[in-house]
Amino acid sequence: MTAGYLARKVGSLVVTLFAVLTFNFLLFHVLPGDPVRLLARSGHLDPQEAAQLRSLFGLDHSLPVQFLIYLKDVAHGNLGYSFAYRAPVTSVIGPALRNTILLLGVATVVTVAVGVLVGVVAGARAHSRIDSSTVTVSLALWSLPTFWTGMILLILGGVWLGVLPVSGIATAGYEFTTWGKVEDTAQHLVLPALTLVLVNVAEFVLITRSSLVEVMSEDYMVTARAKGLRRRVIVWRHGVRNALLPVTTATALYIGMVLGGAIEVETVFSWPGMGLLTYNSVLQRDYPVLEASFLIFTIGVIVTNFIADLLYHLLDPRVRQA
Amino acid sequence: MSSPVPGTPSVPEGSAYDLSEPVRMRARWLRALWADRLGRSGLLLLGIVLMLVLVGPILFPFHPTSFGASSASILQGPSSRHWLGTDELGRDILRQTLVGGRISLLVGVSATLIAIVLGAGLGLASGYFAGWRDAVIMRVTDFFLVLPTLPLIVALAALFGQSLVITSLVIGLTSWPQTARIVRSQVLSLRERPLVQRVRSLGATDARIIGSHLLPNLLPLIFANLVLVLAGAVLAEASLSFLGLGDPVHVSWGTMLHFAFSSGAMGVGAWWYVLPPGLGIVALVMGFSLLGHSLERILSPRSREAS
Amino acid sequence: MSLLEIDDLAVTYTRGESSVAAVDGVSLQVDAGEALGVVGESGCGKTTLGLAVPGLLPGNARVSGGQVRLDGRDLVGLGERELNAVRWTTAAFVFQGAMNSLNPVHRVERQIAEPILAHEPGTSRAEALDRVRSLLEQVGVAPARSRSYPHEFSGGMRQRVMIAMALACRPKLLIADEPTTALDVVSQAQVLDVFDTLRRRHRQALVLISHDLAAIARTCERVVVMYAGVVVESGPTAILTPGLGEASHPYTRALIRSRPSLRGPRILADALPGHPPDLALPMVGCRFADRCPVAIDICRTVVPPTVTIAEGHSAACHLVSEAVS
Repeated sequence: MTAGYLARKVGSLVVTLFAVLTFNFLLFHVLPGDPVRLLARSGHLDPQEAAQLRSLFGLDHSLPVQFLIYLKDVAHGNLGYSFAYRAPVTSVIGPALRNTILLLGVATVVTVAVGVLVGVVAGARAHSRIDSSTVTVSLALWSLPTFWTGMILLILGGVWLGVLPVSGIATAGYEFTTWGKVEDTAQHLVLPALTLVLVNVAEFVLITRSSLVEVMSEDYMVTARAKGLRRRVIVWRHGVRNALLPVTTATALYIGMVLGGAIEVETVFSWPGMGLLTYNSVLQRDYPVLEASFLIFTIGVIVTNFIADLLYHLLDPRVRQA
Repeated sequence: MSSPVPGTPSVPEGSAYDLSEPVRMRARWLRALWADRLGRSGLLLLGIVLMLVLVGPILFPFHPTSFGASSASILQGPSSRHWLGTDELGRDILRQTLVGGRISLLVGVSATLIAIVLGAGLGLASGYFAGWRDAVIMRVTDFFLVLPTLPLIVALAALFGQSLVITSLVIGLTSWPQTARIVRSQVLSLRERPLVQRVRSLGATDARIIGSHLLPNLLPLIFANLVLVLAGAVLAEASLSFLGLGDPVHVSWGTMLHFAFSSGAMGVGAWWYVLPPGLGIVALVMGFSLLGHSLERILSPRSREAS
Repeated sequence: MSLLEIDDLAVTYTRGESSVAAVDGVSLQVDAGEALGVVGESGCGKTTLGLAVPGLLPGNARVSGGQVRLDGRDLVGLGERELNAVRWTTAAFVFQGAMNSLNPVHRVERQIAEPILAHEPGTSRAEALDRVRSLLEQVGVAPARSRSYPHEFSGGMRQRVMIAMALACRPKLLIADEPTTALDVVSQAQVLDVFDTLRRRHRQALVLISHDLAAIARTCERVVVMYAGVVVESGPTAILTPGLGEASHPYTRALIRSRPSLRGPRILADALPGHPPDLALPMVGCRFADRCPVAIDICRTVVPPTVTIAEGHSAACHLVSEAVS
């Protein structure tokens, strides 16, 4: 990877981030009209607070100046003040972000690993019985609404079987040892993570499969067979290695989807992360928190895309030097 | 949600689907769909759901105010009186599910129409006019492609209110970028066709070239994409309504599940309240995605050779 | 005993309900150190013939009859395991258009060393890489370029890399399928020179599959002409060059005529009217009859026998058999 390429990518990342901030500003500060009126409508403000806020937001300034103030605030990590929590938004978001990263991190690793593995098994035997049932099952899983899958798992695993916790991230009222705490968190993690894996794994199965099917018909796969290599080597070293390229690109789409999934799953299982925070901020019309959550979700997608882009360029020597 | 069913062959930049005979294609399409295992399952599934949702409420009308007489009739399991049990207000779930499907379908279809018109229009303009207009439109498209869809929809709905119109608008306005990209790359290859080149050199107007030469060739592709956008729109409506941002008066499947969730139906294991609307969503979405998957397979010359 | 003996080989492709015999009763021999050209239009079955030798047919194709004997072993019906032992060690390939035949994501040294490490256990990585460098040198590629990726080479150099790879396990037989097709004239000549040198040095046998008559005429001793899945004529390559010898089959003659005689592009021009027959339909008589300028009645009803015209020269044509008898 050349320095010039990296510089270009970072440049485009900065431009996109700026565009996101502009979009966020337009969406929450300009489109709905006076944000203070919006807050007042939500019933969190008395007139005195409203007046304070008006000067705090600098609403007596022109829009461009307001935008500059907004940029300055974001740069200083000042994301506003939550009226539902009566606390700065950043202090509300901190722990929530950590919990969401834990949930999505675990779910993503399992999703990608299982998805790629199943996709390879199906794609290496294109049009076989295993392959076509994999496609059908994947399309069925893809059609599952995340929240509903969560509800079903909650009834099955939590209420009927009664073996797994169905709410929150920790069992209240217990003092745990360090190891006990990890175990407790892991138990709470199972159902929400499983929900995310179930509804998202199809994406990776289908993309890996179709990518591998295409790769398997490439000329260099005939070369690999002609060399007298073992089938496992042919499929993995020559097939999967090439088929993974589109999979990294697919991660970008996946991240956009899984953040939406986080809102649904965290709501169903009361997992105290960004998704539940978003849900609560919608219920309580806590706009500063909603705005900050959206901003963080968007930045998350953009940064992940950036990483996926770099990964792609590391994996494919053809573009690495381009 | 703007992403198509994953794993369907995406259109690489500038590659051409074989759409040379748009008119004769139409009859062949249906036959090809029926011949394809996935396509046929999709058609059957959609047929059943549409039948239930369109005819069902006529046979079993739902009365939103026919509450249960006593607390004993609340959240009751299936019985001879209520085949699929009752909700937290003692109302019949079967009847509610049948009519709720109409709302889900209505919002899904209107959101999809908005997204397709917007996406196809922008894609056409972008591919046809090229140059700076193309650059601008594609930058904007890529930007919207990156935005996380559900958080954006949630934010928009929270800011602008809850009604069927707003829900449709919000989903429609966030579901177009994929369509725009697909249409654009197809237009890019179509405009290099000798026929289009010749018509252009003969002095045909842009409107005429687009109207009589590009659009007819794009329709099959747009239709295949429309079906996939529909699947995404139905899912998006369900998610949004589940989060309590749907129209509270016109109860869709998603809104039903919202009430099921917030009334604590899951805590008492009221599966009869959770299953019917959810299965409705799954059937509808799966029907559309099977159909879309199959259509893309039929349209893509590369996979047609391979199969 | 010949190195490669193909006896009455038939290969059938199945597509849905229909099946097509892409190769239908082909016999040929290649001796050690000999170079045999296989010529014909695209779709005549010559590529399928090459792939069938070490059992590399795609999933929808299978050997439906005949025998392949390589270095004294019958290959038809062997399992993947046994075939893997033969592949690349006895018969190696140089494929058409090496851009797609080399894996784009691996360095060429890794791809060349791969069959060495797979077939000669006990070889260390360092030893294998040493051999890679000397192989590259043999085919005229700077050994320093072994750490490059395929896309970093020009078409001609890539084809040399492919040849170096084919030589990795010192095969007795090289099967080259259109090795010069995608190349410019200068690179074509250079690649053919590499084949000549290698054959002189290692006494490797070569099967050169091509539609380029000139390439076959200069590189090979003998030629087999295929049409619609069958051999229509075989003989010394001299029959391809007017003045040196004379082709007997009307199809071979048409091929020679359709080649631009002066320094034009050395590819088979499409001067022959009509198309090869649809192999999915039942065959009656001579497969070339519909396009044959000199066909007579019997050609459309009776399959022509293969007759010997001279030592090592035979053709399957009713007119030839009438002339001979």
